[in-house]
Amino acid sequence: MANASDFVDRVSRIDGIVGCVLIRNDGKKIAQSLDNPEAYTELMQSSNSISADVMDSIGFSYCRYVSFTQENFDEFYMFPIENYLLGVVKLAECSLETMLETVYQLIGRVSTGGAEGAY
Amino acid sequence: MINLIDELKAIPGVIGASIVAADEGLKATNLPNFFKPERLVLVGNHLLKLYAAGQLSFNDLTDITMNFDESVVVARALDKNIILFVICDPNFNNNLLNMSLNLLQDEFKAQNISTLSTASPTPAPAAATAPAEAQASSDTNLDDLFSVMEKGLGKILGPMAEFIFAEVVEKWTANGVANGSRIDELIKLLNQEIIDLDKIEHYREIISPALKEFQKG
Repeated sequence: MANASDFVDRVSRIDGIVGCVLIRNDGKKIAQSLDNPEAYTELMQSSNSISADVMDSIGFSYCRYVSFTQENFDEFYMFPIENYLLGVVKLAECSLETMLETVYQLIGRVSTGGAEGAY
Repeated sequence: MINLIDELKAIPGVIGASIVAADEGLKATNLPNFFKPERLVLVGNHLLKLYAAGQLSFNDLTDITMNFDESVVVARALDKNIILFVICDPNFNNNLLNMSLNLLQDEFKAQNISTLSTASPTPAPAAATAPAEAQASSDTNLDDLFSVMEKGLGKILGPMAEFIFAEVVEKWTANGVANGSRIDELIKLLNQEIIDLDKIEHYREIISPALKEFQKG
């Protein structure tokens, strides 16, 4: 995670991405390109912990991401990356496929497991 | 309530769905038996918690999607304390599921309103004449809705729409009473005629305002 700012910058450059925030599991902010990252950090932690609860309850394996869809189809994504959480604000017009491809490519470069190769 | 979720199971990639109420537990499920009811209640309660947290950040939140390696869980709150969640294969048709969830949510609201009105302990004095008036009003509304649906189908399927609509309505009435409670069946039959998923979505957008108006009564 030495290049956290560069990582966040690259994700934010994807067409249709408003911005993103990278935090540690404990909530400590590492890097961000959003005006109001605090609006998302608690939700990211809750998403991470509750997705793990769902996983345990039903017997699923790895959680790739959790997304929140709004009425206008804008979305917020939370990606667990080892001990970090990436939150991405995505506009409806942004291609999900392109976004996931780019995010996973970047995650693959900085991560040694988990989401790497998931896409 | 099971009839609400049975139609979701017809969508390609959908394994099944459950409805969980915070205070009543599992209200309906059509998931395979290896999903134990007590586990589904746990999942429902976890999702209700996350939904409440999500609404703090997004006041117009509609769905939460959890993408796991082998399955996807899509959750939508039907009410403050009632959540519907659908378990799908990773390659499920998201647009079709979204459209079906919109219809299901409208139907759920309509059923609840209907339940509330029939549960009224002290009917108003004019209640004796109300059913006939309500039926007449309902028929008129259904005619209006049909008119919008037929015109909308014209925009999707062109000149053959009038013929197709008449044929589908005939099939629909042959399967049961022609009233508003079965309107989702009619839409499903029409969708089978439209086939193309983008066009199905477009058709839903066209008829949605009239459908909502109809369901409001």
